[in-house]
Amino acid sequence: MQSEKKLTKEDTWRPAELRRHIRDKDSSERYSRHREDTDRRQREGESMERRHRDPDREKLKEKKLRHGDTGDRYAEQKKDRSYDRRSEKDRERRGEEERKKQVGDARNYRETILDKEDFREREKQKDRHKDKEKDREKVRERHSEDWERRREDREKERRREEREKEHRRERRRHDESEVRRDQTEKLHREPGDRQHRGTHDDRRRDKDIQEANRRSEQSEDRDKKQEHRRNNEERERRHKERRHHDEKDERESKERREIKKTDDEVRNSHGNRKQTEREKQKERHKKEEEGAERRHKDRGHSEVAKEDLERDHGEKRSSRKSQSDKSLRHEKMEEETKDDVAVSKQQMMDGKNGGEHVEKAELAEEEYEEDFEDYEEDFEDLDESAEETEDEVHDGKEEQTAQPSKEIESIRRAMAEENERAGTAQSRRSIDREEEEHVSKGSERNQSKISRHGKFIDFVAAKQREVSQKAAAKQKKRGAELLHLIDLDFSLTCSLLDIPPVSEYEMYIKSFGNANTKQAYVQCNEDNTDRDVQTEEIEICEKWTQHPPEFSGACGDTNFSLEAQDKTRDELILDSQQLMSFLDSASQVMVVLLEEDQAEKKSLRKLTTQTDSLSFSDGSLQLNTTLPFLSGRQISLVHFSPGQKHTMLSVHMPKVQASTAHLDSCSMVCVWNIWEPSRPQKIFIYEAEIQCCCFSPGKSTLVFAGTQVGSVVLWDLRENSSNHYRLKIGEDEWTFRNPTFSTDAVMSSPSHASPVASVEVIPSFVAGGLRAEVPLLAFEEGLSFQLASLDESGMLNIWVVVELPKGNEAGSLTDLGLRPGGKVKLLHSSSLLTVQRPLLKVAGTARPFQTLLLKYHPTDSNQFFIGTNLGLVSHGTSHGLKTPPQFYGFQEVEERTVDINSIHFSPFRPNLFLVGCADGSIRLHTVNHEQPVAEWKNSTAGEPVISAQWAQTRPAVFCVLDAASNLHIWDMMKDDAQPLITKKMSTDGVTAMAVFGDSGHQNTYSGIALAHESGKIELHYFTPTLTVLNPTEEGKLESIMTEAF
Amino acid sequence: MVEGSDSYLIRPNHQHKFKPTIVKEYIHEILRERLSGVLYDPESVPELTRSLAETVKDKVKNAGFDKYKLVVQVIIGEQRGQGVKMTSKCLWDADTDNYAADVFMNESLFCLVAVFGSYYY
Repeated sequence: MQSEKKLTKEDTWRPAELRRHIRDKDSSERYSRHREDTDRRQREGESMERRHRDPDREKLKEKKLRHGDTGDRYAEQKKDRSYDRRSEKDRERRGEEERKKQVGDARNYRETILDKEDFREREKQKDRHKDKEKDREKVRERHSEDWERRREDREKERRREEREKEHRRERRRHDESEVRRDQTEKLHREPGDRQHRGTHDDRRRDKDIQEANRRSEQSEDRDKKQEHRRNNEERERRHKERRHHDEKDERESKERREIKKTDDEVRNSHGNRKQTEREKQKERHKKEEEGAERRHKDRGHSEVAKEDLERDHGEKRSSRKSQSDKSLRHEKMEEETKDDVAVSKQQMMDGKNGGEHVEKAELAEEEYEEDFEDYEEDFEDLDESAEETEDEVHDGKEEQTAQPSKEIESIRRAMAEENERAGTAQSRRSIDREEEEHVSKGSERNQSKISRHGKFIDFVAAKQREVSQKAAAKQKKRGAELLHLIDLDFSLTCSLLDIPPVSEYEMYIKSFGNANTKQAYVQCNEDNTDRDVQTEEIEICEKWTQHPPEFSGACGDTNFSLEAQDKTRDELILDSQQLMSFLDSASQVMVVLLEEDQAEKKSLRKLTTQTDSLSFSDGSLQLNTTLPFLSGRQISLVHFSPGQKHTMLSVHMPKVQASTAHLDSCSMVCVWNIWEPSRPQKIFIYEAEIQCCCFSPGKSTLVFAGTQVGSVVLWDLRENSSNHYRLKIGEDEWTFRNPTFSTDAVMSSPSHASPVASVEVIPSFVAGGLRAEVPLLAFEEGLSFQLASLDESGMLNIWVVVELPKGNEAGSLTDLGLRPGGKVKLLHSSSLLTVQRPLLKVAGTARPFQTLLLKYHPTDSNQFFIGTNLGLVSHGTSHGLKTPPQFYGFQEVEERTVDINSIHFSPFRPNLFLVGCADGSIRLHTVNHEQPVAEWKNSTAGEPVISAQWAQTRPAVFCVLDAASNLHIWDMMKDDAQPLITKKMSTDGVTAMAVFGDSGHQNTYSGIALAHESGKIELHYFTPTLTVLNPTEEGKLESIMTEAF
Repeated sequence: MVEGSDSYLIRPNHQHKFKPTIVKEYIHEILRERLSGVLYDPESVPELTRSLAETVKDKVKNAGFDKYKLVVQVIIGEQRGQGVKMTSKCLWDADTDNYAADVFMNESLFCLVAVFGSYYY
């Protein structure tokens, strides 16, 4: 009606505006305002309903006040109940209608959509104007004309409202609470609302609880909720279309209902409901049709209503029963939250479908209220509406009867499934709806609605499914479209977290390291410390200096000598052999010194005892010849070294009596040091008898010997004793040395065929050279001297003494005569026959010529003198011209066949030599004259002279030993005709004699060595008169020589 | 809502776009506040992760990334010297979607929070 037109404008208003608007209007317009509100609420759905709930209440109150009935409340309740019933029926019918609509009446739907598009703008303005007019007029005649237009308007409005609603719903989802707050604010604002507010609050509390429950269930299938929501939306849209029709119808039917209400409210309400339902149906089908038809329908309305009454009666009763049950339950629910689940489930089911129910219920309620108001106004509509309903009923019946059983059955089955599925799933929307349900309706009605609920669930769920499919398809389409626009890609793998495992070291540090310390790496190389301590001794040098310089110098260095000592020590350690040799020599020296000391004491003692016996002797000592191997041997020769005056050798003949002992058959040579008389220094042995012997010149290191068998042998004194045969005799160990070299093995012709008469070292210097030093030097050079050997046949061989640098211990292959390890050997140099032809002729007359003795001129190596057995001394030269005289003979011309036993050159006058003959005559010769300077006959009383020798310290003194062991000492200064002293060695015959002495300036001594038959050797020192040189002696000797010639 | 298929809003405004740096800062702050000095306790950690996730989610929600669906993943593990490696892989629109992650570590635990923002077309 008119109010609806107004609504279109107010639709878009906010609650605040609305309120203002309401206030602006007159109290007279209040009624229409109510209507507007209600309409709007219907159109907008719950959200709007909720907002305007309070105004509704106001209206209610106003109505009640107006009617002035205190018992109105009851009536109201009744009305509500009836309303519920009515709405339920509506719902039933509507479900069927929707079926039909879907099947066959898509046309209407499409039309409405089109209408929406075409008329929206145009109609809106039109409507507004018209509505205002119509609000005031409300003329029934006009009503029919306006119908069509209004309906169209409403449809448009509905579309718009739906859109708005959807928006709002969404909005409300977000700020539900705000809406609620608004409501409560409103409640406060409305002054007359108190009573309702109380109840309202209670209900709300219940609902809150229910909501909470529902929400928990909702969470289970939230996905479904979406679909449901969509379903609900669509459903609502459709419902609203219907509702609009309803409104119109109801408005018509209200008039009728109000008439009937007086009779029976309940029945009337039913009738109305039915009527409205039918009207709705009818209108859906014949939207475009004109009012003529409508009128026709209206006419039959009343009749149909009556019929419907009866038909619905059963339903009503059953619903009432359930209603009472539900009411009980509802009350309980308010008190006990225990039952909430069950109840809420029902309510949820309600909620699903509830949107429509509630709306319709409310709608009905409002209409009911309006009915009171429009009671008189709508009177005329009755007939029309009756007609309409009649038609509707017919149509409805036809449809319902034809299809219901099949459809409903199938739908129910689907519903059952759907319910189970959707039972728990609840959209918020439905909750909200329910809230409003509860708030706006009385509890009674609410319950009645629930009781009838079962029937409708089936239908709605089936629809839902379809709708949800649609929605899903839509969603899918949207998704597909979006996928075209969007590129999905696999983003690169993003590493969210990467903690490397802790290393062992870190772990260790973490657990055992000190807190707040950091590990630093420093190479301190602690184990590589280098300690350096200077432990070397401090070098100390001692130097001295003296001013003014004395002795050896002005300055000196003691350190030097120390170093030298060290050096020698090192050398000693290194060279043990050298040490040995050193010790040898050193020990010799020591022994000599010791023995000297001893011997001097002895000699002193002897001197005292023997001075009587030997007048010439100033003292004597005896060499120890009592050694076991020397005992029983005769001494054939005693000889002193020309170089070392204190060295003496004695030749011991082999023992006379033959023995098995090896040594006994050998001849022995002992080398003595006259200062060391206790024992011989060296002992040489040779198998054959030794005829003659001599020392090497200079240092007495070599001993040469000529033997009976014609060989020349030599011994090297330097050879180590360890290399020789040792024999232990008694406590002492003796070393017996075999010859180092022997010419025995020299098989060449020049060796001697007869016994060697004499060996003599050929002086290496020419006449006039230095006598003392040169031979020494020569010897040190090694190969510097020659040896001459003369055998009895007059064969003179000259040998060169060769010292090898190194001895061969294994023996030499070429020099078979050389002893293994020996270093010195003899090389045959030359040989000459010294016997002259005249001599041979002469010799032949008397006796075989023999050469007995060989002497070399002490200063001229070229001249040699050979003593013969003819009483002559042959004078020869080794090379060059012969020097005269050829012979040295007697003073008398006649030849005497006597052996020359001794030739001895004077140590002071080299040209002067003594010759001792076997007949006892002694001759003094000079080299230049054949005849002697002096000749002493019969000085020995006819005894053969064995040896005649000059004294070493006095030129005018010589000693003669004859065979009768008489020793004659001549001193020509005192007596040149006869010997000064003649001493007869009667007790022990003297076999050999040798004079010794040193004419050196420091210690002048001289003496005579006498070898006795017993084998002992006595050394006698001459008395000083015989020793000390007389300065006039030389002149005397000179005078003698000149006197002779 | 606009009906036409051409008018989908498929890109967020620049100021509404998911910004990992900001989110990372949030995460960092929250983790620092909540976890510094916390010892790993297997009893309490599940609850801790949940609450952390909620906190982070709320914080990021208020950051104004409109139309973004947020997924917050919180992982807390004990520090025992073990090696941990975590990666994620997403099928999404790289133009709009992004993620931010931050790691917190102390003596006894490590905590990873990853926030994935997926645009809701």
